[in-house]
Amino acid sequence: MTIKMVSHADLAALVAELVAANTQVIAPVQAKENPAATDYKQIQKFEDATLGLLPRRSIKEFLFPQTEVFLRYKQHKGDVTLEEIPLAPPKQVIIGAKPCDVASTDILDKVMNWDYRDELWFAHREATTIVSLLCPGLDNNCFCTSVGAGPDSTSGSDAMLIPVDGGYLAQIVTEKGKALFGARAKDVTDSKLIAKVEELRQEARKKVEQNLPVVPAEMPQWLADNFANAYWDTLALRCHGCGACTFVCPTCHCFEIADERENVEGGVRRRNWDACQTGKFTVHTSGHNPRNTQKERFRQRVMHKFSIYPQRFGEVLCTGCGRCARVCPGGMSIQEAVCQLMEIAGAEPQGNGQ
Amino acid sequence: MNLYQPYLMRVTEVIDETPDVRTLRLEFQDPKVAEEFTFSAGQFGEYSVFGEGESTFCVASPPTRKGFIECSFKMTGRVTRALRRLDVGDTMGFRGPYGNKFPLDTVMKGKNIVFIAGGIALAPVRCVIENVLDLRDQFRDVTIITGARSVADLVYKYKLEEWEKRDDVKLVACVDPGGETPDWKGEIGFVPNVVKKAAPSPVDSYAVICGPPVMIKYTLPVLSELGFPDDHIYTTLENRMQCGLGKCGRCNIGDKYVCKDGPVFTLTQIKNLPPEF
Repeated sequence: MTIKMVSHADLAALVAELVAANTQVIAPVQAKENPAATDYKQIQKFEDATLGLLPRRSIKEFLFPQTEVFLRYKQHKGDVTLEEIPLAPPKQVIIGAKPCDVASTDILDKVMNWDYRDELWFAHREATTIVSLLCPGLDNNCFCTSVGAGPDSTSGSDAMLIPVDGGYLAQIVTEKGKALFGARAKDVTDSKLIAKVEELRQEARKKVEQNLPVVPAEMPQWLADNFANAYWDTLALRCHGCGACTFVCPTCHCFEIADERENVEGGVRRRNWDACQTGKFTVHTSGHNPRNTQKERFRQRVMHKFSIYPQRFGEVLCTGCGRCARVCPGGMSIQEAVCQLMEIAGAEPQGNGQ
Repeated sequence: MNLYQPYLMRVTEVIDETPDVRTLRLEFQDPKVAEEFTFSAGQFGEYSVFGEGESTFCVASPPTRKGFIECSFKMTGRVTRALRRLDVGDTMGFRGPYGNKFPLDTVMKGKNIVFIAGGIALAPVRCVIENVLDLRDQFRDVTIITGARSVADLVYKYKLEEWEKRDDVKLVACVDPGGETPDWKGEIGFVPNVVKKAAPSPVDSYAVICGPPVMIKYTLPVLSELGFPDDHIYTTLENRMQCGLGKCGRCNIGDKYVCKDGPVFTLTQIKNLPPEF
């Protein structure tokens, strides 16, 4: 494991160099209207970043934009010509990303490469370097350690920053991470410092681990077997069907394809985020709707994350960031739901189950 | 070409099937694609009118007839209305083929095949029927039972006439009581009852059934009574889709994705799905 010592000045110089080379640099930035909140935004200098808090939305929009044009068409009478939009997203470096956000990228690679390769997604992936920041564990909505991620997980990261006196330690994870920090900083060989890193990781993990036990490996099959469990009848009574949980979720990736006319001669075809929690998501042309009530729609959300995706791709489609619970106007929490389901399943969850 | 980019198609024929169902014959504008394009009976595609959007339909013409594909659609929403405005010579989009297929070259080969369709669902079944008829010597008895609410609502009347004339096809066409015309020579009754009366033999037979949910619901018990085992009954599921490629998260029923694991399923498989379709 290569670890480098990086000072604030080093990071400031790195950001300045990247910006000068026309690389987009993204980092959490304090929200203008709410000093207690941050959002991932493009920055021009490192001082603009406010690291540490959980940004209100995940990094998803920088890899899977909320709306993305992939085709332009021109019409003349009955004839159509197509212009493919080149898959050349700008190079970007995301600095200070939360490990739970970053962990979503490796998870989503699986569905995006399922038999057919989604080049839109992978073009963004390839153009992006991600430097995560060790998370100290935030509040009792966090449950990354229960779903295979962790506040110290480097899954999806090219490098991870660990705050120490005088700056950061940068743990290099990939070649991209090496390219970013390689020549810049000195390797750390001080065994005390390396031991300190391990200590920080353990502390962070312990803090999050109190919130929810690890979701057991039998859960996906148990859920599939319990599709008709009476628990689902009452679970979604508080759900408004607004879909906010899906938009802030780092792993939710449902989308629609829609055309948009720009003028008489033509327009564009876009991919837009969509949400399985909205009423018409699955409605058939005939009016028949397989998921006709919020009960079915919320069950689908839990099933997709904790049963379907693990069964198809071997990973839970959740990184435990807890944003869904934080934004829910009805006070719903997927963590609470999973905790209760684990109880029903006969597991014996410990922790506060918030 | 990215995954979601459609082929450009030229409309070469427009056929009005019923007052609200139309068939379009489409040819690939790129001769190379036209040459290389292949698909299997049961597969579907995303058809689009630029500026309006995409819709999911099966390919209604059989893979054994090259150089064109056909789709049949009922005018209901934005895209189907726009499709209806297209004329011969106009350009539209198609991407596909997606999904699995009917196992015509494996388990169904050499068997008796019973086709049962209701309303516009004769479109997906027609693809299989013509595929089978084009390879007639690879199959044994072919029975087609198809129904519609009224004579006016029967799609592919010209195909029905053609199949009627063949002595290697047993065709039973029916309309709901009250939907007949004075000169109607077919059966009058609902599809389940007509299937019961026609009583196709289950011996060495496979059934392909597509239609509105209510027709399927009441016809399946009839097939079971006749002795068709569940894994000899094939149908297609038609969930709402956007991508057709297993990405957009819309068409799944439990852990089965209709776009990739389907749209063709046996009754055995369907009975193992959670009841959410």
